[in-house]
Amino acid sequence: MNPKKPRKGVILLERVTKSFGKVLAVDDVSVSFSKGLTIVLGPNGAGKSTMLRCIAGLYKPDFGSIRVFGKDPYVSSELKYGMSLLSDNYALYDHLTVRSNLKFFGRLNGLKDSDAIETASSFLDEIGALQYIDSKVYQLSRGTKQKISFCRALLNDPKILLLDEPTAFLDAHSSEFVRNLILRYEDEGRSVILVTQKLDEVTRFNGRIIVMRQGTLVEDTRIEELYKSVLSGATVSIRLARPISLAVARGVPGFEWANSAVPTVLKVKIRDYKGISAAASYLIGKGAYITGIDYIEPILSNLSIGGTK
Amino acid sequence: MIGIDIDIGKVIAIAVKDIKEVFSSISIYGPMIGVPSFFALALPVLTYYVSVYAGPTLAGKLSSIAVTSSSIVSTSGLVFISFFTVNVLGPIFMTMPILTASVIAADSFAGEKERKTAEALLSTPVKASELLLGKILASFIPTLLLTIFVFGVYGFVTNAIVYNGFGAYILPTLPWLMMLLSSPFLALATIGFVVLVSAHVRGTKEAQQISTLLVLPILVIPFMSVLGIANLDVTFFALLILVLAFLDVIIIYISVKTFRKEGIL
Repeated sequence: MNPKKPRKGVILLERVTKSFGKVLAVDDVSVSFSKGLTIVLGPNGAGKSTMLRCIAGLYKPDFGSIRVFGKDPYVSSELKYGMSLLSDNYALYDHLTVRSNLKFFGRLNGLKDSDAIETASSFLDEIGALQYIDSKVYQLSRGTKQKISFCRALLNDPKILLLDEPTAFLDAHSSEFVRNLILRYEDEGRSVILVTQKLDEVTRFNGRIIVMRQGTLVEDTRIEELYKSVLSGATVSIRLARPISLAVARGVPGFEWANSAVPTVLKVKIRDYKGISAAASYLIGKGAYITGIDYIEPILSNLSIGGTK
Repeated sequence: MIGIDIDIGKVIAIAVKDIKEVFSSISIYGPMIGVPSFFALALPVLTYYVSVYAGPTLAGKLSSIAVTSSSIVSTSGLVFISFFTVNVLGPIFMTMPILTASVIAADSFAGEKERKTAEALLSTPVKASELLLGKILASFIPTLLLTIFVFGVYGFVTNAIVYNGFGAYILPTLPWLMMLLSSPFLALATIGFVVLVSAHVRGTKEAQQISTLLVLPILVIPFMSVLGIANLDVTFFALLILVLAFLDVIIIYISVKTFRKEGIL
């Protein structure tokens, strides 16, 4: 995955390698990111988060180079006025209030306290956490901390937003807010890199996707192309509003398992992405009401796309 | 690497944040203030009673050692308490800046790593120089203030008790003031040492334990004095301050040169 032609983009990685002791986290990765949304997908230990932190300038690559708007993010602190990183670790100061945290990060981003609080308050309000602004962080739930962390990441109105499992601890409403914001940023021509290990999260977007495994980049494609590969031979879980008979359940193409003699949850092995529609059509035809279809993780262990691993 | 252009606003923001954090958790500031304050109150009282009941005997053995208080009426009890206050308890109070600085600096540097907050901090446009300076100030200022406070309380309580018993004030003496003058140098050495080790430890406790090893050389001083190896006079402390200043320059220089932001990740 290292084409020799010169790359173009807002973010350029050339043969980036990063190790921690004997663990090779990112192995000779060359890739570019342009404006818009790019999803980086891969199982645990694929090197996604390390690559993101190298882009954010937190880690210095052992080998290779990273350029963001032509500058090295590890050296240039100026770049960070327009860049934000949000990980699943909320990274707030527990013994300070939410307001103090936001003011602190605002000051480091060159903002006046009043501007930082005004910006953060509007996001906190939208995400349903404004009432916690004067609470100490340690008093809050994990999900609320994550919401505040998200608001912190948006304080500097970033042109580049780096997200590492941003919805990991959020409720459905807040997750939807985050996804809508990602789409808004994409429409506004900002660069958003979203790292995830959940195919379910990926399917909520449309666009470019990069797949990583064992520190290497194994595929650079579109989400719709990914379905062909990743859903081949996968198992899905189908949730029903009302129980159906076991006989009907067993009639579903690819039926594997039901949760009881009068099942409300079925596991179905599909041949490819079309198999989902086939199973759903069959169930609807038999009078069943489908409330949801989930991919059974870790579906990514099936990934062999690109043929490198 | 450390740059030279520094945004003082960011430095202050980091320092204020760290100080707020330390003083928002009683588990950190409680022992840090409580233990030295207790010593500052209790040790003069204990010393006074020892001087009253055992002073005459002990003072005879200490007669060859200079007592530097200039305005006292010499009695054997007073000789003892003057000697003990400066030459034995004084160096114990010199460990305060080391212990305080190690607690705050360990929380400031290794604490970011332990609580996984460094990632958000380092994602902001803050330079390594601003980060380092902010955190050094956050450790240095409270350490200095607390040391002055503890020396003040100790001096006040000692004078009050001694005046009540012997009708004389024994503090401050010049060597005692020079002990206080050595505290910023001791604090800087400790902070520099914590910066050095913070990249190699997993958390606050480890950093603190390693840095408190610096108290060991200080604890040798009272023994040197009692055994007559060193006379804790102005010359001794002037030399000590010079050596500490030299060590500070070396430790801070190495800390600054080797400091890497990802060391606290």
